[in-house]
Amino acid sequence: MTTRPLPAVDSLSADLATWLPEQRWFAAKGRAVGGVRVERVAVVIDGDPALVHVLLDADGERYQLLLGVGAEVPEHLRGSVIGRLDDGSRAYDAAHDAELMSRLPELFAAHSQAGGLDWQPEPGVRIPIGQRARPIGVEQSNTSIVFGEHFILKLYRRPAPGRNRDVDLHRALARAGSGQVAEPVAVLSNENTVLGFAQRFLGDAAEGWATATASVRGLLAEADVTGVEVSAGEAGGDFAGEAHRLGAAVAHVHADLATALGTGSVDAAAMADGADEMHGRLDALLTEVPELAAHEATLRAAFDAVRDLPATRVQHTHGDLHLGQVLRTTAGWVLIDFEGEPDAPVTERGRTRSPLRDVAGMLRSFDYAALHLLAGEDPDEQRLARAAQWADRNRAAFCDGYATVGQDPRAESALLRAFELDKAVYEVGYEHRNRPDWLPIPLAAINRVTATR
Amino acid sequence: MTVQDTTAPDAALGLEGIPHTGEGVTADGHLTEPQAGDFHHARSAPPQAQWYKSAVFYEVLVRAFNDSDGNGTGDLRGLADKLDYLQWLGVDCLWLPPFYASPLRDGGYDISDFRAVLPEFGTVDDFSYLLDQAHRRGIRVITDLVLNHTSDAHPWFQESRQHPDGPYGDFYVWSDTDDRYADARIIFVDTETSNWTYDPVRGQFYWHRFFSHQPDLNYENPEVQDAMLDVLRFWLDIGIDGFRLDAVPYLFEEEGTNCENLPRTHEFLKRCRKVVDDEFPGRVLLAEANQWPADVVEYFGDPGAGGDECHMAFHFPLMPRIFMAVRRESRFPISEILAQTPSIPTGAQWGIFLRNHDELTLEMVTDEERDYMYTEYAKDPRMKANIGIRRRLAPLLDNDRNQQELFTALLLSLPGSPVLYYGDEIGMGDNIWLGDRDAVRTPMQWSPDRNAGFSRCDPGRLYLPTIADPVYGFQAVNVEAHMNNPSSLLHWTRRMLQVRTEHPAFGLGDFVELGSSNPSVLAYLRTHDDDVVICVNNLSRFPQPVELHLSEHDGCVPVELTGGVRFPAIGELPYLLTLPGHGFYWFQITRPHEEGEPQ
Repeated sequence: MTTRPLPAVDSLSADLATWLPEQRWFAAKGRAVGGVRVERVAVVIDGDPALVHVLLDADGERYQLLLGVGAEVPEHLRGSVIGRLDDGSRAYDAAHDAELMSRLPELFAAHSQAGGLDWQPEPGVRIPIGQRARPIGVEQSNTSIVFGEHFILKLYRRPAPGRNRDVDLHRALARAGSGQVAEPVAVLSNENTVLGFAQRFLGDAAEGWATATASVRGLLAEADVTGVEVSAGEAGGDFAGEAHRLGAAVAHVHADLATALGTGSVDAAAMADGADEMHGRLDALLTEVPELAAHEATLRAAFDAVRDLPATRVQHTHGDLHLGQVLRTTAGWVLIDFEGEPDAPVTERGRTRSPLRDVAGMLRSFDYAALHLLAGEDPDEQRLARAAQWADRNRAAFCDGYATVGQDPRAESALLRAFELDKAVYEVGYEHRNRPDWLPIPLAAINRVTATR
Repeated sequence: MTVQDTTAPDAALGLEGIPHTGEGVTADGHLTEPQAGDFHHARSAPPQAQWYKSAVFYEVLVRAFNDSDGNGTGDLRGLADKLDYLQWLGVDCLWLPPFYASPLRDGGYDISDFRAVLPEFGTVDDFSYLLDQAHRRGIRVITDLVLNHTSDAHPWFQESRQHPDGPYGDFYVWSDTDDRYADARIIFVDTETSNWTYDPVRGQFYWHRFFSHQPDLNYENPEVQDAMLDVLRFWLDIGIDGFRLDAVPYLFEEEGTNCENLPRTHEFLKRCRKVVDDEFPGRVLLAEANQWPADVVEYFGDPGAGGDECHMAFHFPLMPRIFMAVRRESRFPISEILAQTPSIPTGAQWGIFLRNHDELTLEMVTDEERDYMYTEYAKDPRMKANIGIRRRLAPLLDNDRNQQELFTALLLSLPGSPVLYYGDEIGMGDNIWLGDRDAVRTPMQWSPDRNAGFSRCDPGRLYLPTIADPVYGFQAVNVEAHMNNPSSLLHWTRRMLQVRTEHPAFGLGDFVELGSSNPSVLAYLRTHDDDVVICVNNLSRFPQPVELHLSEHDGCVPVELTGGVRFPAIGELPYLLTLPGHGFYWFQITRPHEEGEPQ
């Protein structure tokens, strides 16, 4: 083990206070950081550069960093520099350092305790070493690194103590033999906190969002021949077959989660509480978004309809399902990221819910996929009609596919409608604040769902 | 005037004065048959081990290519006159659908004499001449051989129905009832209602998997097996380079099975292969088995022996999925079928194609996919035929040059030996108003002259009218016009064939799909020794970016194959490419220049 003194990461606090808010995964984006306090520092790999693991607290939120600390920073990592330590060495975000990262598989393979952390492969999994590391893309809340084409390690940037839902649900599904998840490969943890999670890398995968929007793009651009209107079903890039298979995949995951982790039932009182929560979210937005006022009565009626429902089944679900959380692989659809709703408190994320929540999330996502290309344009009746047709066709195909495995989600129409509207209300708030051009998408959905009541 | 003996076994052949089967009968009741020694033999093709693995095939209908004697029908001498064109184009092997004596009720697949040529096409000696001239130019020739059945006009069948106790009585599958082998499907659902037909002459039913005028041979009978092996020998002796074995899964029948792919069918194919290997090395057998790849690989035989049945087999399910993938702008239809394709023995090769003389066959797709293909590619119901679509490549692709190039690039770079269909190199059209599958069998368009330069006959005498519509008609679309235009599809196709020849990876290489996050881009690596080729295809009509994970080739330089342009070196990071709508790239991965290396 290292005898070298721990680097004086404390001296980096001021630099971190300016660096953190620029990171995509930083919670309070756009706000200045009041104070940064380093909670834990440990050298994982000694040398120059050294790999240093850091847990820190910024304004009450906990963050995880992997720092590279060395006398010099190579040219290609200059963009990742955070600052200079007391001893004159420089510190940078090591997640971008392919060479340092490519040493991590050795730690997992050796069941290492480096840095006082637990580098643990899943039972029976052999970790290939000597794989080239490659940090990937931009993510909202984590940083992921791919090793060779073998596995992908997700570092939770805001690790929380206690059970990790992402790991737990993946393990349960893998044990159930589910073909709809990427198998767990290893877990990095510190006492009771999961810091990182490695899974099999699906190199042949394309994101559901990209796959679906390719279809929409095709339909919107389809030329009319001799004035015959093209329908979504006739257009070349018809997605309904994929939507159908996706519905079946989601239903399989729900069934496997129910078998593995059990189901529960909520009574009328709990349903009433649920309705109150939906009302509450609407209340909070009504003053902020004046456009909602016109729909208030119908929205409230839809939420209240849930109160009269008999008990409904709850279970573990994906929790934040949309087209960005599913991957099309050559072998079929795979669901990723079982962390639950990113904005919900950790205690909330773990709770069981109606699987219809996932279905509603996906149905809303089809709507987004259909309409996002039209956001901000002057309304064009033909393009709007085609987009709406695409959404209807694929939402129906998704439900049809789901019904081949589980119960048809449309059978519980009042609940599904309430969930969809609740989600749409959330979207209204989000778009109002962040993307006003997109506000018409959830508003139109509210309009449509309430009109067909 | 002599009265024709209508019960003579050769009565239905129409081959008077031409050597043919059944000219005479031996004392023990056997029919005399022409022997290879009676004809000229062609010189051999230049020897090349496993030539079929990197060859480009070209399917050409003798009837449709060139008419040498002005009777309105193409013939073998006419085809021989066009060999210079085919050599210029760069094809390695011609595949001729059957040119045997036939009543032509099934495009010549109803063979009435395996040892005679259809008189309107010429003679066995004309074929031998064609073969000789082709070999002189380094071009090989294979033809179809139907093992499963004959025409009902074949002297064997005539003998069998008239003399149940004679030497041919057991050559076909006869039964007193029509209820045996009930689990076998009916293939030509548009025309046939049963696999059994009653023969009033013999008073029994005969078995037929295809048309009722095509009785199945009885492979239970060892004499049938020997007779068919002798047919192989007859043509191999004259010099042919191999056979496309038609309808191979159906040779044997067995109660309680679907009568397809039975073990004894494979045993017989092993016998055929042994004849080729022992007596005619370097010739090939190509299986036509319209089945799933997992079943088709059985026709390559024992992988331990490098394959001991057919050298090649067609990959049927790939073709409709290429169309579907481009129409859906999604790589998954192709990725899935290739992932489901098992590996094949070392001596084996797939044959792949976009179009051929049959309809675009949709047997190997699911019902949902079939409906999809119909709506997309057969808007007019006449475009449907049996289970498929009868159109040529250009009209299937709305005559879009970019798509024709993309499809051809896929054909030439996916694993397998590509089979081009005559006329597609100039973007010929079809005529869906012609019957059956004749839509795609119209005369080759050579020039804007009368009959497209195909024949000097009266236009009304042509076996089928030339394509005359304003877009695809021969005045606009013909070889001469394409030759004179350096940017034509023909010149482009020729250039692509040249590039393919220069890179063994296309024919012999491993195939590894390179995933990417863009579902509309299909990218793969073909590797043979140090020849490494990357193919990137944009299946979407819109421009697309793609990031490829090539860090294994860190430091190497991709060189574009058609122009030789050097692209930026591959680094640690994903390699970014942008492709125009329906665009594609072929790159060779080369090591970077060394310091001081002459450039």
